[in-house]
Amino acid sequence: MGMHAPWKEVVERERAGILLTWQDEALGLFSEKMALGTPMAEALADAMGRILDDLVSSENEATQEGLERLMRILAVHPFPPSRSLSVFRGLELIVREAGHGLVNDEELRECIDRLTLQAFDRFMEQREKIYRLKVEEERGKMHMLLRGGRS
Amino acid sequence: MSQYLPKVDELKKELNEKPGVLKGDYSKKEWWELPFEFRDGNFCWPAKPEVVEELGFPNPRKWVATDEDWKLPDGWQKTLKDAMKERFKKYRTLKLYLDSCVRCGACADKCHFFLGTGDPKNMPVLRAELVRSVYRNDFPMVEKILKGFAGARKLDMHVLKEWYMYFYQCTECRRCSVFCPMGIDTAEITMMVREILQLIGINNNWILAPVANCNRTGNHLGIEPHTFKQNIESLVDDIEDITGVTVNPTFNRKGAEILFITPSGDVFGDPGVYTMMGYMLLFEHIGLDYTISTYASEGGNFGLFTSNAMMKKLNAKMYHEAQRLGVKWILGGECGHMWRVVHQYMSTMNGPVDFLEEPVSPITGTKFSNAKAAKMVHIAEFTADLIHNGKLKLDPKRNDHLRTTFHDSCNVARGMGMFEEPRYILNKVCNSFHEMDENTIREQTFCCGSGSGINAEEYMEMRMKGGFPRANAVRKVREKYDVDSLVTICAIDRATLTPLMRYWNPGVSVYGLHELVGNALVMDGEKKRTEDLREEPMAGFDDEGESDA
Repeated sequence: MGMHAPWKEVVERERAGILLTWQDEALGLFSEKMALGTPMAEALADAMGRILDDLVSSENEATQEGLERLMRILAVHPFPPSRSLSVFRGLELIVREAGHGLVNDEELRECIDRLTLQAFDRFMEQREKIYRLKVEEERGKMHMLLRGGRS
Repeated sequence: MSQYLPKVDELKKELNEKPGVLKGDYSKKEWWELPFEFRDGNFCWPAKPEVVEELGFPNPRKWVATDEDWKLPDGWQKTLKDAMKERFKKYRTLKLYLDSCVRCGACADKCHFFLGTGDPKNMPVLRAELVRSVYRNDFPMVEKILKGFAGARKLDMHVLKEWYMYFYQCTECRRCSVFCPMGIDTAEITMMVREILQLIGINNNWILAPVANCNRTGNHLGIEPHTFKQNIESLVDDIEDITGVTVNPTFNRKGAEILFITPSGDVFGDPGVYTMMGYMLLFEHIGLDYTISTYASEGGNFGLFTSNAMMKKLNAKMYHEAQRLGVKWILGGECGHMWRVVHQYMSTMNGPVDFLEEPVSPITGTKFSNAKAAKMVHIAEFTADLIHNGKLKLDPKRNDHLRTTFHDSCNVARGMGMFEEPRYILNKVCNSFHEMDENTIREQTFCCGSGSGINAEEYMEMRMKGGFPRANAVRKVREKYDVDSLVTICAIDRATLTPLMRYWNPGVSVYGLHELVGNALVMDGEKKRTEDLREEPMAGFDDEGESDA
């Protein structure tokens, strides 16, 4: 395994603390902050933990599963997409803070930018999925009503 | 100092992390100042004027929640206050529930809508407060003592909009009541508010259209008898194609021993129809003397979400048909709210039923003494008894292509206390049942998020939020045990959990319990089975021969 960039080493070493702070920030998006044992906190930790792991392990870019899960959670809520995507800027600041000023490389900034753009794609996919579900539900009903007449 | 006293840092942690009424962005404001806004995805279409007219309900008109002017009748405040007063007198529980809350907060993070939205007005304590604050202000005796204390509000347009918003973000699932030390049942408050809102024409088309249909034809979809029969006959053809067995349901047959009533979703809904196929295979297997009514063609009852009077009227057809056909007792299919009505209200609401007998299984001789008053037996109790007495020939390997978990339907689990029978059956008909987390099942089960008549397409975002805690529990068993099949015993669940899973847990399909029973039944004269009732290949049952297992 090659040498990690300094910021990756910080994420690897401080994973638990970074995840907790980042999760707390995401919980703060809601008008009422939900506790750590709630399904929302669990699901956020699951998605965000995957993103952190992927950041550390992959050489180029994060795999999409964690991003997709996180955006799936955020895409059903009424706050604007920009607010949902602000969690990545939040992550950047958390990682810098965890690195006590030692982390300031351009690679981290690039990675966060890439994550944010990819997240926007995933966010839109989830929004489209919601609309598709609406259409499918209506179409399914029609299909079942016509089904009876076939015999 | 006692070892049981919490430490300062623990208290700090709890204060910071536990949901509180006034934390987050709005920590400096009163709870009623928290803004809300009707927008696409968070409200249902109101009932169409023709639907309201057909039912003879007040104030039919075209309107929508986002309109500035809701076209309310003159004196609507008085109508609502009089209606509340009447109900406080009639239903003492309701008054007790409003009076006895001590704001302990035990309910705060128990509601699936709160857990899915993070909106404090979805905490049951605040949901009830939406009414309590008006009740305090507008009812003379209480006013003298409490006006100005802890929030007393005039019933104005803002409050009305809030009621419409938040009493349709409660599915009457009663999970909060499990945790309330005072036994407050917020569902009853929701039922009262929804009922009185009907009096000024504040309503929901997804509830009132099925009610009007049911009032006219006997079922929510408005299907007439010939079509109802034709659809079941098409399922008979499908069963024959898949199993080689001809099942023989009868319709409106006088003198049958048992009348079978199930939600119309089992006859017309996908995936409900496969559950219907399972029932018919089961009845054929045991040679049950039963009939299906094309008039009592609906077990569900959206009257429950409308008004007491409407619930009573729609439910009466079950006993009418049982009497007309001269059956001994009624067997009911898989449904949630239907069982809330049957179990808790039917015998006093539409009874007494001296023309029916205390139900006895004709196959095992078991007397269902729990159904002595209502004379209606739940299919899961009936089937569990058959299995327990060794009356079914089952091959659970026929469900080896599925890895299952079980969703307790709120009304069956919390409403009638049925936890074991469906699990007993599931364990006998498949080899791969895995429970979800303990605090998400049985009496603590999480709602599907779309019960109580809010299963409308236009409400999809809110449904995805309301169903999120359930979906999160499924996610965990999917990851741990590779579960791909969510089994349930409710027609609304079968309809609502399907899109919920498509959104949150792609790859998880929704099944009725008796669909799995139908898959597992070894029928006399059957052809070699290779496919389940959905015509999906079963594992290890290829064309070559018997199971490899």
